[in-house]
Amino acid sequence: MASHTPASGRFKRIGFAALLYLAAVALGLGSAWWVLRKASWSGTVVKVGPWTGSTLAGSTDADLYTRARVALEGLLALGRDETMYYVARQDDAGQPLRSACSYRVEGLPPAARWWSITAYADDLFLFDARNRQYSLNGSTARLDARGQFALVTGPQAVEGTHWLPTPGQRGLVLTLRLYNPAPELQAAPARLQAPTIQAIGACP
Amino acid sequence: MRTWRNTQRLWFYRALTLLATALIVHLLAVWATPRLIMNRLMTGPAAQDMAMLNRAAFPPAVDASSRRVVMPSPDLLYSVCVFDGSAGPVRVRANPGLPSYWSIALYAANSDNFFVLNDRQAGATPVDLWLVSEGPNPRDPAVPPGARVVVSPSAQGFLLMRVLTADYEAEKAVVEPARRTLQCNPGGA
Repeated sequence: MASHTPASGRFKRIGFAALLYLAAVALGLGSAWWVLRKASWSGTVVKVGPWTGSTLAGSTDADLYTRARVALEGLLALGRDETMYYVARQDDAGQPLRSACSYRVEGLPPAARWWSITAYADDLFLFDARNRQYSLNGSTARLDARGQFALVTGPQAVEGTHWLPTPGQRGLVLTLRLYNPAPELQAAPARLQAPTIQAIGACP
Repeated sequence: MRTWRNTQRLWFYRALTLLATALIVHLLAVWATPRLIMNRLMTGPAAQDMAMLNRAAFPPAVDASSRRVVMPSPDLLYSVCVFDGSAGPVRVRANPGLPSYWSIALYAANSDNFFVLNDRQAGATPVDLWLVSEGPNPRDPAVPPGARVVVSPSAQGFLLMRVLTADYEAEKAVVEPARRTLQCNPGGA
């Protein structure tokens, strides 16, 4: 039968303390990961339709959490007086964007000197598009009679519409960049006339 | 009763230790995240391959193989430089001479964009910046009078020059020489 010696009691205490600190470190790291990767944000985030943008991305006024989140999801962003970024991970119906599905994105050219919409995979890097078409921008977009641009993302091209291939079965992220945005948009990022994102047909 | 109170107190302090430590670790992790990412960008294997410490480097045009920084823009051509002002000012020069958008942005070691200059702001004047780090640095050679000085909040940081190219293959002959006008050298050199 084991007896409780002072030495074994000390080892127990040291073991318990080590366990306690390990649990604390795991809790601290886990909560940081959750906050930066999973938590939905408000405050410094504006939401316009399916698009969200940070008002403090790249700014020296960014708080601890905004700075960390931007470093993870948009490192080397510019401040909003230079460039504004809006990101969409859902379509207009609130469904998560998927690369295997097709979407039509259309709208009026945003109030900025130059703009672009880029399709990224969920790891935030470009899709391996065989036609090397990764984006639609203010120079390449053709406007229709209503003055609107349109693009299609998905595995298949759609006749007559700019196509951004999104091969594979994974999440899709669309990024709208506005270079030198109009002052009124800088002042009120929620005033963006957001491009619509609508699913085309059934999604496999 | 007294024993129970001691046990209760012991568990209270244990829980307090756990929560305080977790909070400190949480804040440290969030604080360190942008700094670690920037550190990797500035000193990682890719940065060393491109030898961009106080020297301009010109990564290839963005495509699906560009995986150094998240969300690379396929509509921009980049020039980069890791500046280190700890041994003196760093001089940044460029003269892209393009009618379309370009900009030079400076990022501190914590990822903050503390300075940006675009084509409209630069006008027809070539860019000539003297980049110095905050605080007194007795080893700094004198920055020439009248020079445009930019103070970096950190000794080390990252310079990113963006040159707009809506169609790289068609515009290559113009935009490539334009982005290669970037120079990033120790000020005394």
